Amino acid sequence: MPVVNELLERELEYVTNQGEQDHIRALWDDAHPLMQEISVNLIQGKNQDVYDLTQKALADGFSANTILDDGLIAGMAIVGIKFRDNVIFVPEVLVAARAMKAGMEHIEPILSASGVEPLGTIVIGTVKGDLHDIGKNLCIMMLRGAGFTVVDLGVDTAPEDFIDAVEETEADVLGMSALLTTTMPNMGRTIEAFEEVELRDAVKVMVGGAPLTQEFADDMGADGYGKDAIQCVDLAKDFLGILGQIKTRDGQ
Amino acid sequence: MIDKEKYSKSLARLESIFREMSSSVTDVSMWRCPYKNVQDRCTAKFGCRNQDFDVPQDELYKCLGSDKLDYRSAWDT
Repeated sequence: MPVVNELLERELEYVTNQGEQDHIRALWDDAHPLMQEISVNLIQGKNQDVYDLTQKALADGFSANTILDDGLIAGMAIVGIKFRDNVIFVPEVLVAARAMKAGMEHIEPILSASGVEPLGTIVIGTVKGDLHDIGKNLCIMMLRGAGFTVVDLGVDTAPEDFIDAVEETEADVLGMSALLTTTMPNMGRTIEAFEEVELRDAVKVMVGGAPLTQEFADDMGADGYGKDAIQCVDLAKDFLGILGQIKTRDGQ
Repeated sequence: MIDKEKYSKSLARLESIFREMSSSVTDVSMWRCPYKNVQDRCTAKFGCRNQDFDVPQDELYKCLGSDKLDYRSAWDT
């Protein structure tokens, strides 16, 4: 079915490259109008609507694959183009990612029931004293998109909160972010706190943030340093020895 | 139930969309504060000298940054 949703049609006007627009339109050629509604609500960052519509779509008998491809990811493709062309900026991308997460809340139980496991669990936060969270939030978006379960501790996170979260979730990886040179040492203090409670060997530690360097990460005893969100995902996959896109209970 | 092969392809596609976006974040951040939204409002949880507090109570602060100067020096540390 061609695009029948008026709001989605308006969003498509931002895709100025004709070839690209044709390609994206084709994504909805066989899609139900409900998928278009999910897409447009995701583009506009309406997480409650995406949550409700995804639930409705599943109740109406649409498969999780269809909702993911024709609703959620098709919408995110337009978000990507709008961001690339400076029509929207980082905050709007993060709001759309939050809407995607809202829809995924209904898909995840189906994944689990089908034997698809998260690639791993990652606890992540900005360290004590630091309120800068854009880099961390981009990492979370990337990690979730890659198939990890992410526990976001937010900003200004004390070492004991990192420890509690890793213990509770049995996380595979701990991620810490800092933007300020004054708060960077709190990464080292958090690692020391993990050593004190004898949990350091239970979790891989990755760190990131604008003022950090590989040398600083090595000095404080982190297992890895990522200079951006892409490296953050690559590091996490590397830690867990992940080669494919999904992990199944039966190991296939 | 989910078709695992299809799901794997979907994840690969989503990851590639996110990778493309993330790769341009650094470039965009050279000329525009990443906390500034499309309506030129500030989404930061911290103080910044470019924030204009003269807005209704439940609205985000306006950003007065020009995007011509390095915005990071205005952030409260």
